[in-house]
Amino acid sequence: MKRATLVLLFCFSLGAAAQDNERYRDLGNKIQCSCGCNQILLQCNHVGCQSSDGMIRELRTALATYKDDEDVLNWFRHSYGMTVVVAPSTHGFELMIWVAPPLLVLSAFALVFFLIQRWRERAVPVMATGADPKMDDLRAKVREETEL
Amino acid sequence: MPIIGSFCLLFALVLAAYCLVAGIVALASHSPAAGRLSESARRSGMAAFIAVAVSALALVYATLNNDFSLEYIRAHSNRTLPIPYKLAVLWSGQEGSMLFWALLLSAYGFVLRLRHKVDRRLVAYASVILAGIQTFFLIVVNFSANPFGLMDKVPPDGNGLNALLQYPQMVIHPPMLYLGYVGMSVPFAFGLAALIMKYPGEKWIHITRRWTMVAWLFLTVGIFLGANWAYYVLGWGGYWGWDPVENASLLPWITGTAFLHSVMMQEKRGMMKTWNMWLIFTTFFLSIFGTFLTRSGVISSVHSFALSSIGAWFMGDFGRLSYFPFFYAYPGFLEIAMAACVYFYVKNRSHLKAENTLESVVSRESSFMFNNLVLLASCFCVLCGTLFPVLSDWIRGDKITVGPPYFNAVNVPIGLFLIFLTGVGPLLAWRMTSLASVKRNFAFPAIFAILVALVLIVLGVRPWILGVGGPYLHWDYLPGWITRHLQSIAWIDSLSSFSLLAFTLGAFVVATIALEFYRGGRVLQGKLKTNLLAAMYHLTRRNSRRYGGYLVHFGVIIVLIGLAGRAFNQEKQQEIGLHDKVQIGHYELISQKYTEDHNDNFDSRAAILDVYKDGKFIETMYPAEVFYQPGQPNQQRDNKVAIHTTLMEDLYIRYDGFNSQTDRPIVTVFINPLVVWIWIGVIVMVLGTCVALAPNAAQLKSPVPLTVMVRGDQVQILGTAGAAK
Repeated sequence: MKRATLVLLFCFSLGAAAQDNERYRDLGNKIQCSCGCNQILLQCNHVGCQSSDGMIRELRTALATYKDDEDVLNWFRHSYGMTVVVAPSTHGFELMIWVAPPLLVLSAFALVFFLIQRWRERAVPVMATGADPKMDDLRAKVREETEL
Repeated sequence: MPIIGSFCLLFALVLAAYCLVAGIVALASHSPAAGRLSESARRSGMAAFIAVAVSALALVYATLNNDFSLEYIRAHSNRTLPIPYKLAVLWSGQEGSMLFWALLLSAYGFVLRLRHKVDRRLVAYASVILAGIQTFFLIVVNFSANPFGLMDKVPPDGNGLNALLQYPQMVIHPPMLYLGYVGMSVPFAFGLAALIMKYPGEKWIHITRRWTMVAWLFLTVGIFLGANWAYYVLGWGGYWGWDPVENASLLPWITGTAFLHSVMMQEKRGMMKTWNMWLIFTTFFLSIFGTFLTRSGVISSVHSFALSSIGAWFMGDFGRLSYFPFFYAYPGFLEIAMAACVYFYVKNRSHLKAENTLESVVSRESSFMFNNLVLLASCFCVLCGTLFPVLSDWIRGDKITVGPPYFNAVNVPIGLFLIFLTGVGPLLAWRMTSLASVKRNFAFPAIFAILVALVLIVLGVRPWILGVGGPYLHWDYLPGWITRHLQSIAWIDSLSSFSLLAFTLGAFVVATIALEFYRGGRVLQGKLKTNLLAAMYHLTRRNSRRYGGYLVHFGVIIVLIGLAGRAFNQEKQQEIGLHDKVQIGHYELISQKYTEDHNDNFDSRAAILDVYKDGKFIETMYPAEVFYQPGQPNQQRDNKVAIHTTLMEDLYIRYDGFNSQTDRPIVTVFINPLVVWIWIGVIVMVLGTCVALAPNAAQLKSPVPLTVMVRGDQVQILGTAGAAK
């Protein structure tokens, strides 16, 4: 029983560590290094970089302090200014930039389907008999313009 | 020379303005003299090119002769600058690049007016519109960004050219990009001309198709040369950083691509006329907008020139006068051009009525429609992301950063869907496709794609094990239960998942292209009694546009393979003393020596590294750092990266100088898989475009009766009997 509890605790701690690591990677990829290199924090690994090591330490501290990712990003916004977060937030005004593209695509697709539906209802094709002599000129033109 | 240059610029403005005014009067007049007036307008437009060319030559001559009495040359050149880079001085600064814009526009106008016999009336209208654009740029060059401004006191030497621009790619990249940007003015002029004069039929599309393709080709080459320059010069190991100016060049490319596809609908079925008209208008607006973004400094970018008042010429301005309680607002060129387009569209929109409608979702037309929608969605996302910091600043008063995480998250899925449509489109018939036909056409490409995916998985492209490069997407805006479910599959949004999908879709598209060539080739093989390869060659000659287009698609897929390799990038930065080793992937680098070199134009410090792969010596590589104008206040530092390229991967080494704390040299090493395929793909795209630009060879007349379907006066081919099947 004791062994089973230990195994369970170990698994739980592994899961929690994996989750923390996931958060670290996720948020570290949304923050820009402030050294002026314009690189993502976790990608800015210049030896001797004055900023990235300190910022990464701050990120780890903020991860331990705040449970909500948005709070972590807000802490960085507050400390380094709005431009430090390279991925717009998914709340409030900035949500618009995330929602607009899929909404636009879906609306456009819906519009196409709707238009096709409407046009199909209107169109009543008539089959050519092939015997109409008036069509001969047109047919000849079609043959001429068809390369095969 | 400055006086000649200045005079020619002013004279060019007068000529362009005359071309505009006389052209309008001639087109509006019905008197017998209108023809002569129109001819004089045409000739003055052509003469404007000669005047601008002389002005540009005067600037180049002054640069070659180190005439530092000109402020522009003092700021962008110096005595030790090599001659090829002195030529690049013409477009390396704000004033020079505006002159270069005017030169290219005049050159396009010259060719257009020279070829006026193609349709005198249409060309006369297009010439007037082009003269309007020319006049605007010449006003800007003459009165706001004149490159012939003189110094009060002549300095002994100049500041020199920006170090980042002293590369062969940079001598070619801006002219290519400008040729693309400026080239989009010509189809715009033809489109607006056709709308104004209610031009009957689709001839204007035929006339402008080659112009659009040429401009698109230049834009493509320009964009990828920029990516190539970023990769080989900037030293960060990547080729595309979603910088606002990079985005600005991508926007007209996307809408131009959409236009090149959707005009086929207009040509074949008389559909999407309004859409095409607005697409070409939008492409032109985005070209001008791109120029505005680069020049105005409204968005910070590594490419942007200093903040200047030039932006107001493009976008207008509004504000409040200091001493009067009045607000002021005036439009820029872009608003005026938009207003003109909207006016003529509202006035003549009945002329753009479609002759046919979409009849089925499963048809070639709808695949073009979806292709256009997806391209425009991508364009919208890029535009949105580029302008969002400005929008945020206006609305909330704080400027946020929209970086690669947003652009990648939004554009990668869109791009993959577009690739899917690239494969699907050719498999669908015009008007509608039966289920049996879908099954028959899709079987081979789908099986091939699945096989490729399986082979890749066997070879080790297994996102659920690799999971590299993620998390990549942002699911947060989806409902909570979906987000939780998706995030529980850790690898689903990793870059390697997208790579696997990209390779699979790429295989699907390649199979459809191969199938198209094979089927067409088989038909001709029987007719010409030749082998399959020769038949495919003849097929391409006979319908160069269609099969050239397929070659372009093939090039795009090769580029995609190169881009998909990014998921497996590796990077390592290390201090490396004498005879120290760096191990990365299969490679081992051993430091042999550090050296310094002095040159008239620059000083350099390089590391000499022996490179081994799996224990076998490959070559010695020399990454370096370079200091231009060494020891002077305007000294500029730059990287000279060393790259060992194979078809599988690039070994990319950057020398980062000495660590000031330990006094030991630092190198950064990247392994970038498949990058070379991006450049190979671009070459294929260029070749494909050249094929598509070539005129068709003589067509083979088919003696086989055709089955047609008639609705009203419209005739549609339902199928061809015998040989055509």
